Amino acid sequence: MTMIAPIERTDDRLARTQVAGLVALAARTVAPLWPLESAIAVNPLAGFEELPFAQAVAEASKLFGAHRTLPLALWRRLLDNGRIDEAALRDAAIGHLGGIYRAAAPIAPGVTMLDALMARLLVIGRGDRPERRAGLGSDAAFIAKWCGAFFDHGMTAMPLPNRDLGLYRAVLAMAAYDPDYRTLTGARGAALLLSVPRDPLEAISESLASLEAEVDPLAYLSGLVARLPGWAGHIRWRSEHADPDRVADAPATMADLVALWILLARADALSAPLGAPSAGKDRRAALLAHFGLTAKALGPRNAQRLDIVARVDDDRLGALFMTAAERSYANGLIPALQKAARTSNPPARPDAQLVFCIDVRSEPFRRALEAEGNYETFGYAGFFGLPIALHPFAGAHRARLLPVLLSPRHDISERPVPGRESEAEAIADRARGDACTTDLFAAAKAGPATAFAAAEATGPLAAALMLARTFAPHATGRAAAALRTRRQRALAPTGDAREDHASFSLADKIGYASALFRLTGLQPDTARLVVLTGHGASAVNNPYAAALDCGACGGHAGGANARLLAAMLNDEDVRSGLAKEGIAMPGSTYFVAAEHNTTTDEVVIFDVDRIPPTHAADLAALSASLARAAEANRARRALLLGRAPADLLTGAVHWGEVRPEWGLAGNAAFIVGPRDLTRMIDLQGRAFLHSYDWRTDTDGSALATILTAPMVVAQWINCQYLFSTIDNQNYGSGDKVTQNVIGGIGVVQGNGGDLKIGLPRQSLFCDDGLPHHIPQRLLTVVHAPFDRVAALVESSDILRRLFGKGWVQLIVIDPETARARRWREDGADCSEGRSLLAIDC
Amino acid sequence: MTIKDDTLPLHRRRKIEIVMRAEDRALIEDLLRAAGVSGWTMIRDVAGMGHHGFHQGRTIFNDESGLVMFVGVGDEAIIADVASGLSRLFERRPGVTFLSDVEVMRSDYFAPSIGTAGDPSF
Repeated sequence: MTMIAPIERTDDRLARTQVAGLVALAARTVAPLWPLESAIAVNPLAGFEELPFAQAVAEASKLFGAHRTLPLALWRRLLDNGRIDEAALRDAAIGHLGGIYRAAAPIAPGVTMLDALMARLLVIGRGDRPERRAGLGSDAAFIAKWCGAFFDHGMTAMPLPNRDLGLYRAVLAMAAYDPDYRTLTGARGAALLLSVPRDPLEAISESLASLEAEVDPLAYLSGLVARLPGWAGHIRWRSEHADPDRVADAPATMADLVALWILLARADALSAPLGAPSAGKDRRAALLAHFGLTAKALGPRNAQRLDIVARVDDDRLGALFMTAAERSYANGLIPALQKAARTSNPPARPDAQLVFCIDVRSEPFRRALEAEGNYETFGYAGFFGLPIALHPFAGAHRARLLPVLLSPRHDISERPVPGRESEAEAIADRARGDACTTDLFAAAKAGPATAFAAAEATGPLAAALMLARTFAPHATGRAAAALRTRRQRALAPTGDAREDHASFSLADKIGYASALFRLTGLQPDTARLVVLTGHGASAVNNPYAAALDCGACGGHAGGANARLLAAMLNDEDVRSGLAKEGIAMPGSTYFVAAEHNTTTDEVVIFDVDRIPPTHAADLAALSASLARAAEANRARRALLLGRAPADLLTGAVHWGEVRPEWGLAGNAAFIVGPRDLTRMIDLQGRAFLHSYDWRTDTDGSALATILTAPMVVAQWINCQYLFSTIDNQNYGSGDKVTQNVIGGIGVVQGNGGDLKIGLPRQSLFCDDGLPHHIPQRLLTVVHAPFDRVAALVESSDILRRLFGKGWVQLIVIDPETARARRWREDGADCSEGRSLLAIDC
Repeated sequence: MTIKDDTLPLHRRRKIEIVMRAEDRALIEDLLRAAGVSGWTMIRDVAGMGHHGFHQGRTIFNDESGLVMFVGVGDEAIIADVASGLSRLFERRPGVTFLSDVEVMRSDYFAPSIGTAGDPSF
């Protein structure tokens, strides 16, 4: 006898929970989109990661109307510039044709299939592609307009009424007065406003019941979510990642957004979906002409071979170029790493050790610093393992200083440094005063009675400020820097308990301190100075400023995390606890916190007045080395930006600067291993470097952490750059010059529309239109025994998916033999089955 | 020694336990809210043996790796609603669920079948 009655429903409508389940699944079509203040990189195709990479790109192309690859013309220019190896392209072409034997099959005397495919890749056709008209259909524009009004973060003079009812109901209440709605939906739309359910899930359920039987409800809902991926992504952020107090005034779920689309659908006001862009025509005639052949002269077998090549569409050709780019890179990197693995010698005890973020921008700076003296550097996630949220002194909201994969476990307060309380209060008073002035000016500027008077009264001051920012940017920059320095001196993050949250216990502190050693392979015989170096960037008038800060710190600078961990590591109780765990550091070791500015390459050392006098000489020598390293790295970066080194300092403070730095453009590899492995290789700022010592990680737990967390963040970054480059209009954010910030949460192109989800054109492309960032998938290289890595990948859903589905490529270098082996993607043609051990590089 | 107290007020409710990938946590939360369950327990880093081998529970820097388990209690109709919604999720996402009868002492803490749900602070 069964104790539980089966779950039954008698009508045709789905239950609310079933609809909620479908909507929640459909929401995965888009990635969460963080607001500008904490912008971090996300893979725009994160919802497709269950699929093999190529299939995911194709599916997303259909849903978002996006291109699958760069135009051939740009790939060809990258090849001409030497950034892709033609031999690697030829290898990719041979692989596509099924191996060298088939590739060498003749089409005509002296013309093989490979010749024909290479001609398609390199010569035939102009290789450009028609760009779609920018802008939205009237249905999407209607919903985007109301999203902009509803989600506004206090920017408008008159907020939308009824926001507390939720997005769907608030728009229902206003739509009757909107001429755009009347134009779109006519009398039917007006009637629907009176009759549709007020609950979005009920409204969706009612609509799904009327769908034709062959329509898959999930595919239908996913298609609706994908129509405005920016606003849908913003809703995902609000639902899943925002602090509740930030979004309580305007509750919105994906069901609200879908219900609005369904309202338009029921009024027959929905435009046709975009669909995948055309991938080019059959090039049979062009191939014949190129080789001076005629169709009649070819026998049936040769004609068939010609057709095989002619049918390869431009998207597939682009994919071959991407494969070639990936192989070109790996072919240069892996042998160099193998050579280092065979010959590496650990350095003598260094004068100082510096721990940097894994960010690709750290690598060239580390190399420049290492050239200045006996310094050892490490790579570690830039939040230094501290899952914290910081409540700024006299600030309104907490900042989450941790990767978005984590939730904060400790709430930290920024408090006055003992002895500097009055200075801290003065800074807070000034900040409050500035905020009041800004609010007052905004209110005056927007008020119908005060707008003109405000312009008259403040115009001269604004003009003076504008002239100063334009012609004397260093003066305004110096003022801002002085304030920043005062703030850093007077205020510090503290691990003391807040009234409402638990803070760090001694066990917590010891745990976070030991993680630094365990995950990076840092040995207990530490140098006299160990510097934890977070990073941030400088940009003025730049909505994407947070995207240049530390991604591991949730789009914020990493100085606070570095200061906290340094304080923990200098704590005597923590040192004692570490010693009991076998990490007994010399008493002469002192930890210092610092922050690397990736735009100017200047390094700020925090809490200098607390550094013991015994270490003053060490610090002075290090500071001099840091200054010289900064100069060297600026010179290197200036070449890439096509500017003078001093100009980089101007760009960091100039409000007209559209490209203060290249950010993480060029990112291509994630290397897990000791610095010995990479010290002698110029990685050109293209590699995330996570320090790791396989010998101290006996149970593999450190490697598991590195691959399932920092590498996942690196993969998101890599995918954001990849997709923003191949289709900057759909997956990026287009030209910065025509962008506007909306509601304080994101950017739109022109004066409205969908939130843009990716990076601006200026962050990816040179001024001549050539991509600075080559779109290629992340190559992860691990220096560890093969069987350890294989066991780890097999036991992890995330890793099996990323490596097996081709989102990330994995190469493992065995520490004992320096042999390298590559992980094979699922379904790859090989009789030996899937295994790390099967493919030698 | 057992202590039996016949005066202890106990109320029959249904319990649902759901084990899913941590990255799908938000899917379950949406579902529970839609059913009117406003309070639940979530246990992170659940380990166990499944169809695809052993699932590690250990996560350090990633709350979205590994498995999580949700535990919710409510009236029979509410929990049946949750299970109904789950059937849609399980078509696309791996996971398991267990339904059982339980007795609770403070019935007002748990989702009623009509009206607003219980105290979310549970």
